[in-house]
Amino acid sequence: MKAIKRLALLAVSTLAVGAVVLIGQLFPNTPAGELANVLDAGYAASSLRLAVPIAFAALGGIFAERSGVINIGLEGLLIVGAFTGVAVAHWTIGDGGVSLGPGIVLLLVLAALLAIAGALLGLLGDSLREIAVRGGGGVLAVAVLAGLTVALAGPTLAATWIAFYVAVLVSGAFSLLFAVVTIEYRADQVIAGLAVWLIALGAAPFASNVIWGSVNSPGVDTLGTWTVPLLSQLPAIGSVLFDAEPVVYFLLVATPLSWYVLTQTSFGYWVRASGENPKALDTAGVDVRRVRYAAVLISGVFSGIGGAGLSLGRVGNFVGSGTTMVDGRGWIGITAMLFGNYNPFGAFGASLLFAALDALQFRLQQLNYAIPDSLIQTVPYVTVIVVLALVGRTRTPDAAGEHYDSDED
Amino acid sequence: MNPDRLPGPIAGVMDRLVDASAGERLVVSVAALITAILLGGIVTLVAGVFAECSTPMLGTFCYNPLAVYRYLFLAPLFDSFVLQETLKNSALLLFTGLAVAVSFRAGLFNIGTQGQLVLGALAAALAAVWVGPAAPSGPVGGALIAVVAMVAGAVVGGLYAAIPGALKAYADANEVITTIMLNFVASDVAFFLVSAYFQKPGSGSVETRDVPAAARFGPEIALVMAVALTLLITYLLWGTAFGYDLRTAGIQPDAADYAGVDAKRMVVTSMTLSGMIGGLGGAVWVLMSVGRWVNGVPSLGFDGITVSVLASNNPLGVLFAGPLFGSMQAGSLSIDFQLGVPRQLVGVIRGLVILLVAMPEFFRTLGVRWGMGGGR
Repeated sequence: MKAIKRLALLAVSTLAVGAVVLIGQLFPNTPAGELANVLDAGYAASSLRLAVPIAFAALGGIFAERSGVINIGLEGLLIVGAFTGVAVAHWTIGDGGVSLGPGIVLLLVLAALLAIAGALLGLLGDSLREIAVRGGGGVLAVAVLAGLTVALAGPTLAATWIAFYVAVLVSGAFSLLFAVVTIEYRADQVIAGLAVWLIALGAAPFASNVIWGSVNSPGVDTLGTWTVPLLSQLPAIGSVLFDAEPVVYFLLVATPLSWYVLTQTSFGYWVRASGENPKALDTAGVDVRRVRYAAVLISGVFSGIGGAGLSLGRVGNFVGSGTTMVDGRGWIGITAMLFGNYNPFGAFGASLLFAALDALQFRLQQLNYAIPDSLIQTVPYVTVIVVLALVGRTRTPDAAGEHYDSDED
Repeated sequence: MNPDRLPGPIAGVMDRLVDASAGERLVVSVAALITAILLGGIVTLVAGVFAECSTPMLGTFCYNPLAVYRYLFLAPLFDSFVLQETLKNSALLLFTGLAVAVSFRAGLFNIGTQGQLVLGALAAALAAVWVGPAAPSGPVGGALIAVVAMVAGAVVGGLYAAIPGALKAYADANEVITTIMLNFVASDVAFFLVSAYFQKPGSGSVETRDVPAAARFGPEIALVMAVALTLLITYLLWGTAFGYDLRTAGIQPDAADYAGVDAKRMVVTSMTLSGMIGGLGGAVWVLMSVGRWVNGVPSLGFDGITVSVLASNNPLGVLFAGPLFGSMQAGSLSIDFQLGVPRQLVGVIRGLVILLVAMPEFFRTLGVRWGMGGGR
């Protein structure tokens, strides 16, 4: 029933777009015609780009909620990622030229701190050897990644990438804090998630002000685009899929990967069991606590990629005024997650739909219609409300929002 | 995120809060506040290392947390301007704190007080400007305009909150997300309405015409109204059958349903009531603080969440938490101008307070560890 409703909704929206394009082709001088002119390859590319923060938040949310932890702090994690990326990029690529060293040191220190935190929380294993191998391995992997980046990219681009990695780790650390608060200290997940959002909403403009004397940052270099030779020459899809920002490729990989991990691996099975029936998972000898920590950490890492991708991907600065440059994308991501029924592909599709509306909104503003910008801006938000009302109740994991205590302590 | 699921965690919190004695709730709130202030102090100190200033303390620290907190909490005592601002902010935060408390008590996360306040404020300003010429002159006329404006604010705020209420009740749409989305919509729509139809002639910023001066009042009257409303809401929640139903629906939706409470109607009613209080707060903001609607409404709605959470969603607790944050908001301008510490610091502390109040278990553990008898 629900699935039918969802499919119908998707079909109707696709048909609507199709109808607009068709009418536009037949009657080029009508408003629909002008609208259709807007829907070109550039429009598809910008939709895909705008989908990045929404979809990464949604994918992260899927892992957390399927493991039984409702993470509504995704908006805050996106803000943290967006701000940290720009702040570190500005710090390492300051006015006095690029200094790669401090950035790499910061990255490794953060990785080591995360490994230590993981060891202290008992997440890395039981024996000392396990802890050393996993913690050390994690730090080593980060070091190798940094080394490869420096070897492959020029100094400025490498520094931007290091800033990107730092942003992902900081967002991950912030989600770890949320995990400790909700899993260890049984905080109410919804209130704690709100707090994560409000802390980030205050902290990012605060730190911007401290560093730059303004809630908005100066411009920094971006990650640029990756162009696939030959394939990018393909008509229509070439410029959309094969001449895009790195984070767009990440998203195109992360979506099927998330689906694969969730449905085809034993870790994915644990995540789902931890959300549906933690008792059974516990009885089977799997540590529910560790699974939930891992799932929340994934939501933090994904949100970090989405947030840093938003700020370092194309614009190359951080906007901290009002609701910051993230501007509700985390909340829209949660809606995309619900709309997609906790399925990575569904969430990706829903994110793309919302992003397409957002892109359309930007295009309409450029067309200078009689409709004022402030009204056009509401289109994505109103759509979210309509979608929520139509989708209604979703089948959440049974144990979502509940603490799980194993009886051992 | 499931609408079905959300009452679970709320019920969990409520159980814990109801089980816990009022004394323990107070201890958790005070401990959370003190911890948030300590953490905020550390944040200030650390941030000072990254800031630039001419005379850092001890060579590296630009910001002095003690000076910051002196401005945030004690400035009303020695600075009459800050005192006035504190009184105004306190009154406004009493309204928004109450608005949030009513919805949270009913088991609904109304995060949309901000949007309800923005539109309520706009309605109040327009109503006051509109009836202004028709009202008799003198204080009676002024009071009349003020009443009309406040009714307009409450009605529009209530109607705007009824939307997510109805969506929650009849379409199962999660109210956290719908209210946040409606916040975005409210500010865009208000901006559009004012810039397109109600713009003050010759003004560079987006604002309405000034409300008649006779309709404006000072923070004292606003505070009296806010306290009276607090007592009224306390009576409504604990002294009437409606209040009993509302609280039962919040703690035990099934029990309320069994007792014959129309759950769907209760959702819409309590959201509307919450929105009316928020809209009333918007009207007070217009009549007391600015004298017109102007773009860039302060985040009173979000601060209301902190106030309510800190007060365990208890209207009488709001009476203490409101002025506390009113003082912090008023002092935030001073720390910016006098000490050069960005005023967004208060936003960080706001989030920390909510986070810490949400984890009573943390303080229980601390209590046990320190052997203070706080643990059970």
